[in-house]
Amino acid sequence: MKKILIVEDNEKNMYLISFIIGTMGHQVVQAKTGEEGVALAVAERPDLILMDIQLPGIDGLETTKRIREEGITAVPIIAVTSFAMSGDRERLLAAGCNGYIEKPIDPGTIKDEIGAFL
Amino acid sequence: MLTMRDSIRCLHVLLAAMALFFPLLFSPPARAEAQTVTVGVYENAPKVFTAESGKPAGIFIDIIEHIAKTEGWELHYVHGTWGEGLSRLEKGEIDLMPDVAYTAEREKVYSFHRIPVLNGWSQVYARKGSGIQSFLDLNGKRVVALEQTIQLETFRRLASNFALKITLIPVPDYKTGFQMIADGRADAGVTNRFYGLMNGRKYGLEDTPVMFDPAPFFFAAHKGLNQPLLDAIDRDLAALKKDPKSAYYASMGRWTTEEVQFKLPVWLDVLGLVLGVALITSLAGAVLLKSQVKARTRQLEKINNDLTESEQRYRHLFEHNPAPMLIYQRGTLEMLAVNDAFVNHYGYSREAALSFLLTDLYPDEEKEKIATMAAGLKGLAYVGEWHHRKADGSIMTIMVRSHDIEYWGYDARIAVISDVTEMKQMEDQLRNVNETLDNKVRERTAQLEQKNLELEGVNEKLKELDQLKSMFIASMSHELRTPLNSIIGFTGILLQGLAGTLNDEQRKQLSMVKGSSQHLLELITDIIDLSKIEAGKITLTIEPFDLAALTRDIVESFRVTADRKSLKLIVEGSERLRIESDMRRIRQVLVNLVGNAVKFTDEGEVRIAIGTDADSAVVAVRDSGPGIKAEDMSKLFQYFSQITSADLPKHEGTGLGLYISRKLMILLGGGIQVESEFGRGSTFAVSVPLQREERA
Repeated sequence: MKKILIVEDNEKNMYLISFIIGTMGHQVVQAKTGEEGVALAVAERPDLILMDIQLPGIDGLETTKRIREEGITAVPIIAVTSFAMSGDRERLLAAGCNGYIEKPIDPGTIKDEIGAFL
Repeated sequence: MLTMRDSIRCLHVLLAAMALFFPLLFSPPARAEAQTVTVGVYENAPKVFTAESGKPAGIFIDIIEHIAKTEGWELHYVHGTWGEGLSRLEKGEIDLMPDVAYTAEREKVYSFHRIPVLNGWSQVYARKGSGIQSFLDLNGKRVVALEQTIQLETFRRLASNFALKITLIPVPDYKTGFQMIADGRADAGVTNRFYGLMNGRKYGLEDTPVMFDPAPFFFAAHKGLNQPLLDAIDRDLAALKKDPKSAYYASMGRWTTEEVQFKLPVWLDVLGLVLGVALITSLAGAVLLKSQVKARTRQLEKINNDLTESEQRYRHLFEHNPAPMLIYQRGTLEMLAVNDAFVNHYGYSREAALSFLLTDLYPDEEKEKIATMAAGLKGLAYVGEWHHRKADGSIMTIMVRSHDIEYWGYDARIAVISDVTEMKQMEDQLRNVNETLDNKVRERTAQLEQKNLELEGVNEKLKELDQLKSMFIASMSHELRTPLNSIIGFTGILLQGLAGTLNDEQRKQLSMVKGSSQHLLELITDIIDLSKIEAGKITLTIEPFDLAALTRDIVESFRVTADRKSLKLIVEGSERLRIESDMRRIRQVLVNLVGNAVKFTDEGEVRIAIGTDADSAVVAVRDSGPGIKAEDMSKLFQYFSQITSADLPKHEGTGLGLYISRKLMILLGGGIQVESEFGRGSTFAVSVPLQREERA
């Protein structure tokens, strides 16, 4: 069982992702804002982070940068983006993401992606 | 005829000069300060010429030097030809030119004083024994004459009057002319009596009885500037001419008798032919006199005839002029004459018209004004607009031109009348039309300006709306998709049985929910893409990638659907094809094309070929589907157009796919080509440039 941090402001998406990860048998840590995400990443030391990019306040890219700046460099961060944003692959990688998943979230895709990093 | 008229005019000039001269006697003497006067000199001895000493000499020079002394002038001479002299005078480079015959034409260009310096005439000279006895004898001859002279013009006119063929040779000076005759290059020459008298014999020439054009000769001044000079010349000339012992007569004597009185050549004397010569001379003189008297008589008769003819001509001009004309006596304003046109146009009988006063023709409000006006018009030509009353009482607008005339001894005025009533009415109408037009234009301009203001306002609002639209799209792209993503996501969980086992009906219905949600998401995504493309706000991410791998990947994603329809899905061509482009947009286009092919083809195959042509990477998607009718081809790339046919099942779609695909490919520097045959299938080929052009 691994510990997975989900940073996601939308309640329903949070529930959806948490549910899928739950069926995989992993522990879920939830953060609703970027700042909370950075704090929990430092405090909880998760094995993987799922990062929504379109967050209110500091966005997913900025949050990712800050987490990396805290010295957490080995933990894979998978970006969760809307289709419209996915073209910015370069930007995601430059900010420190290791991969990305496009919305709408397909349970199969998310399982495959997480499986690839853990 | 010319001689006569010129003499009369000469007399007029003299009289005028006298009239001017008397009051001048009492005017104060000439100014004391030295004034420089520049005088032209040309070669026309003995009137004016350059002496061997290089100084100017001659009658005109003697006289002007005398006047200069009297007036305290300092004289400067400018030598040149006759023509040069005249042109300098015209330009004002010299003040006076001597020896200028007066003509009306010349008076337009130069100013003349009034008392002639001398009178002369023109005479034809020829080689001795030429046999030229009359003007007619000059037919077929070459005749020299001084250029730019009255002489030349008169001679030319005479020749043409007599219908003579005379070759006229203009020369710059008499000397040249005489030399030409002496050399045989000319047969005769026109010269003035003074020059001929003095110089003829030197060249072996003699005078012929052909004489014409007596004329008074003056100093001419530059037009308008030298009136004081001219006044002084007249004043001094009058004094000179009054005194028989004056410098004037001394000069005339000196140049026309003393020196010019030739001595007989020695050989004549030796041969003792003096008597013979005298006899011949007197005989010739008698003949000449007789013929001159005859000629004079003929000329007088002709003048008389001319006068009668001329009077008749003028009467005719008045009587039969198509314009109404009237003559009235100045002062009394009595009508003296009206012409036929007046009678016809006005409707008054001639008797009635002649019993009128001028003012009777005018409406009451103009009577006083015309009487005052007519009284003040002495010596002036007048043009004005008035009104006249016709016999039928109607008032017409007239344009009248009038000037002084002497009519049977009356001090009168002649008036030429144009009826401009219709023209005036038309003018008024035109003015009205113009004013109306002006007003309309002004009104319209104001309306347009108002419209412009309104349009500016609308434009502002449209800009705001456009901004709002962009914001709307940006926000919608997120807000519309979030709940849909949620629906699709949870449907996925349920369908995968992650939340519990489903029965077949539940699975079937949930699949429909997922399908519809996905369709809605595509629609929203397409609309957002469309808006971005239309607004030019689409951003491209150019990166290198393998087009072959991308294509195979996309084809594989349709394999399940194709298998379900028993369609053969075939990929052929390049295994590897690296290009630089926006991968996601290329994917979008290829997904659309392959998706369409699979969707619309019910049996047979969909064949995808990957390759290159001259400078592009090409992916061609060929299907064995229903094909497209020729008339539908143009609708293919329009938005919200789905080609429908009774033969075809209705397919779910946005109607935006091909439109967006084509726009995207154009943005990426490539394109989409379609070939189709109805009932046989279609080929959609996407081309992407192999070498990306650098954007500036």
